[in-house]
Amino acid sequence: MTSLHVVLAAALLSGPALLLASLALGDQTVSRADLRSLFNGSATEQIRMIVLDLRLPRALMALAAGVALGIAGAIAQAVMRNPLAEPGILGINAGAALAGGLVIVGLKGAGAALLPVAGFAGATLMAAAVFALSWRNGTSSLRIVLIGIALGSLAGAGSSFLIAFADVADVQRLMIWLSGSVYAASWETLRRLAAWLVLPVVLACLAVRQLDLMRFGDDIAASLGQRVNLGRAFLILLCTTISGATVAACGLIGFIGLIAPHVARNMVGEGHVRLIPGSALVGGLLLMAADLVGRTAIAPAQLPAGIVTALIGAPFLGYLLWRRRHVGQ
Amino acid sequence: MTGRHADPLRALGLAILLCVCILVAALAIGAGTSRLSLVTVCEAIFAFDGSRDHLVVTMLRLPRVLAGAMAGAALAVAGAGMQAPTGNPPAPPGLPGINARGALPPGAAPALPMTGSMSDGNGLTWYAFGGAATAGFAVHALGSLGPGGPTSLKLVLAGAVVGTFLTSLTAAILIFDQATLDAVRLWTVGSLSGRTMGQVMAVAPYIATGLAAALVLRRQFTTLSLGSDISGALGQRPLLWRTISVVIVVLLAGSAVALAGPVGFVGLVIPHIARLTVGADYRWIVPYSAIGGALLLVTADVIGRGLFANQDFPVGVTMALIGAPFFLWLARYRLRST
Amino acid sequence: MSVNETTEAGSGLRLDTLSLGYGNRMVVEGLDLKIPSRAFTVLLGRNGSGKSTVLRACAGLLKPKGGAVLLAGKPLSRFGARECARRIAILPQGPAAPEGLTVSDLVRQGRYPHRSLFSRWSRADEEAVKEALELTGMADLREQPLENLSGGQRQRAWIAMSLAQQTEILLLDEPTTFLDLAHQAEVMRLITTLVKSRGKTVIAVLHDVNQAARHADHIVMFKAGKLVQQGPPNIIMTREHVRCVFDIDPEIVHDAKTNAKFILS
Repeated sequence: MTSLHVVLAAALLSGPALLLASLALGDQTVSRADLRSLFNGSATEQIRMIVLDLRLPRALMALAAGVALGIAGAIAQAVMRNPLAEPGILGINAGAALAGGLVIVGLKGAGAALLPVAGFAGATLMAAAVFALSWRNGTSSLRIVLIGIALGSLAGAGSSFLIAFADVADVQRLMIWLSGSVYAASWETLRRLAAWLVLPVVLACLAVRQLDLMRFGDDIAASLGQRVNLGRAFLILLCTTISGATVAACGLIGFIGLIAPHVARNMVGEGHVRLIPGSALVGGLLLMAADLVGRTAIAPAQLPAGIVTALIGAPFLGYLLWRRRHVGQ
Repeated sequence: MTGRHADPLRALGLAILLCVCILVAALAIGAGTSRLSLVTVCEAIFAFDGSRDHLVVTMLRLPRVLAGAMAGAALAVAGAGMQAPTGNPPAPPGLPGINARGALPPGAAPALPMTGSMSDGNGLTWYAFGGAATAGFAVHALGSLGPGGPTSLKLVLAGAVVGTFLTSLTAAILIFDQATLDAVRLWTVGSLSGRTMGQVMAVAPYIATGLAAALVLRRQFTTLSLGSDISGALGQRPLLWRTISVVIVVLLAGSAVALAGPVGFVGLVIPHIARLTVGADYRWIVPYSAIGGALLLVTADVIGRGLFANQDFPVGVTMALIGAPFFLWLARYRLRST
Repeated sequence: MSVNETTEAGSGLRLDTLSLGYGNRMVVEGLDLKIPSRAFTVLLGRNGSGKSTVLRACAGLLKPKGGAVLLAGKPLSRFGARECARRIAILPQGPAAPEGLTVSDLVRQGRYPHRSLFSRWSRADEEAVKEALELTGMADLREQPLENLSGGQRQRAWIAMSLAQQTEILLLDEPTTFLDLAHQAEVMRLITTLVKSRGKTVIAVLHDVNQAARHADHIVMFKAGKLVQQGPPNIIMTREHVRCVFDIDPEIVHDAKTNAKFILS
């Protein structure tokens, strides 16, 4: 138990540390003295703008999005009963990408404001289609995964078509959006994201027992009294809403939903009552760190956070799976 | 068609399929902005006389159709070969072909080394092959981790994971370099347009080797498909043969991607249909897949070009439009229970 | 090697200080066991007692952590995979076959160890398959896809595949577990025929103690990875032994007509 406490303490402490680093580092380093000056009211206008208007909302956005993605990932893995699953499998990302692509290419400059809406709409429509098509006297986890992949491929083909034939400047804009970034975070978007996320996150926390039961397979869950199909539908809806809202705010950020639950599982075990908050915590920290790295690693150029998560994520996932290879034998 | 007694029937079916394939290929060469008759096509190939029509055939259409046939055959056999090692535990009942999806290495990988060396079409091919091969091995390695070794589902998911990783890597480079983005993007969608005879000839030996290896070793695939317990009990060394089959698959899939970019679903649709028609013996699945794959891709390309009146219409998109509904149908109606 | 051992090394399977495990978990340690040739040996024990593990090791599917499985005096690891498969056949539990495979396709697979990479289908191969199908009574069903068959028929098809290997030793892991009584009896009859008429050495893991008592020539009882008792059924099927190995309190009923013992719990 003590090692668990140590790990948790470390995780909780690294939060504020990361936050401070996010505020201090970047194009222009803000020193500790400058940061302190914010508190005693003697900060310059420039420091105030950099920290309070740019970096703080950005860091908090990364935290919020990471928390959301971590939770969505834990739900996805429970519903699809597979450690390699993530919300994107439900076709969410592909649908959002296609919708966003259509908006950017179709509406050109005017589309920028509609992008979040398009992303959210695309994600939700896609998830609904996946669910509807996998309904055949109820759903099954395997069918959902496969149909998600099929529809995702179709949407992907559409996006590829756009990428291949649209104006190259539009395509570049599309790819930036697809890469997922908290670059354009503002207090306004942060507020909106938080508003969207409150209810779903609370519901997710309340659904921990359902999630635990889902892991056992339909027969056992049903015999233990769970309304399997209803539960699955509800949880997928939850996962979609949370991911969709994140996509709307930040574009496509992958791998957080895949990795955060794994890391959390290693720290706090399988029970969802601990796993959900654990994934949330790990997800938030990971995305903050990824954004920080993206901003500072190849400065002055900025690498979108979504790319950093993918570049670090895949090898890290491989390592995690490698370590678990004897589990269950 | 089941049983040994049906063997002559299967052989006949194969021969008919081959004839159909050749006929369709010839018609495909004739199709395009200027319709050319079969006679002209044959003359162009066998009695070349330098006329404009003949040039169109040999420089534009023939390479394109050849590339389609080769890539199609390679992808289909790779898809069939990918099913064999995942026999333990076996594929989800009723859906043995899904792992082909994961086997197809994301074509985005090759864009990496390309920043800078974009001019040479042949260079593109080899970077693509290298990238695809690496991706293929990574997918197999990732999908084999954990108890039970490689299963179809794990491979598919592993394919999604590796795919996302490589796409992000590519995006990382392309969002900073508009020129490269412009040059590379048609290729990333899976297309046969603009293929030259040089490119086709460069890749041909590798596809030929892969196909030959798969044909010669097809008995081993059948034994592999019984699962590592049984095949081990029969004296087949599971690790050795699984590795060989992965190498063959990657060789074929990588070459196909090098030639045509990432074209999906061929490796899934064709082996599945082959299995439904000729049974589970790889002695027949491999040759039927090869010819069926060639036929499918050439046909898809012609349809795409004709239907959308655009000579550049990417065959990758057409295959997705054909393949995804098929996959949907499989997942919805052929998957037995949970 | 003493004189005794050289005569016994002829065709026999012997476990020598065998230790087996998965990952860091040891299942069996320091096991010494000689399998009687041309007889039907049954491994009995509770779940997790190590009997399936031992069976797999006997076929070379599991590499020993210590000690060795000796075939004719040589450790299995020194035999090539094919050579081993020509001497020992194993049918693991609950095998699954790809969709669309027919009985004939499956039984033909049993010839794998006898065919080199490029060899053609020979007369010997054809004979072996025919014989295997006849022995298991599956000749009429040879063109049927496996999924169309009943549980008992499918199990017989798998056994036919193992028989086509034409090995002197046959290992079966719970061959009757999911079969109904009639099919179970069929499989047991088949095993007895193989041993009595064909002189095969058969080792099976069975769950049904009475089945073992009725048909086995030699019984080996395992408990927690250790060999507790071995011997002919009528000697070792005693109340104390069954109680010790299975943790139940049995009643032994003796049938005077067939001279068989039944264990009721």
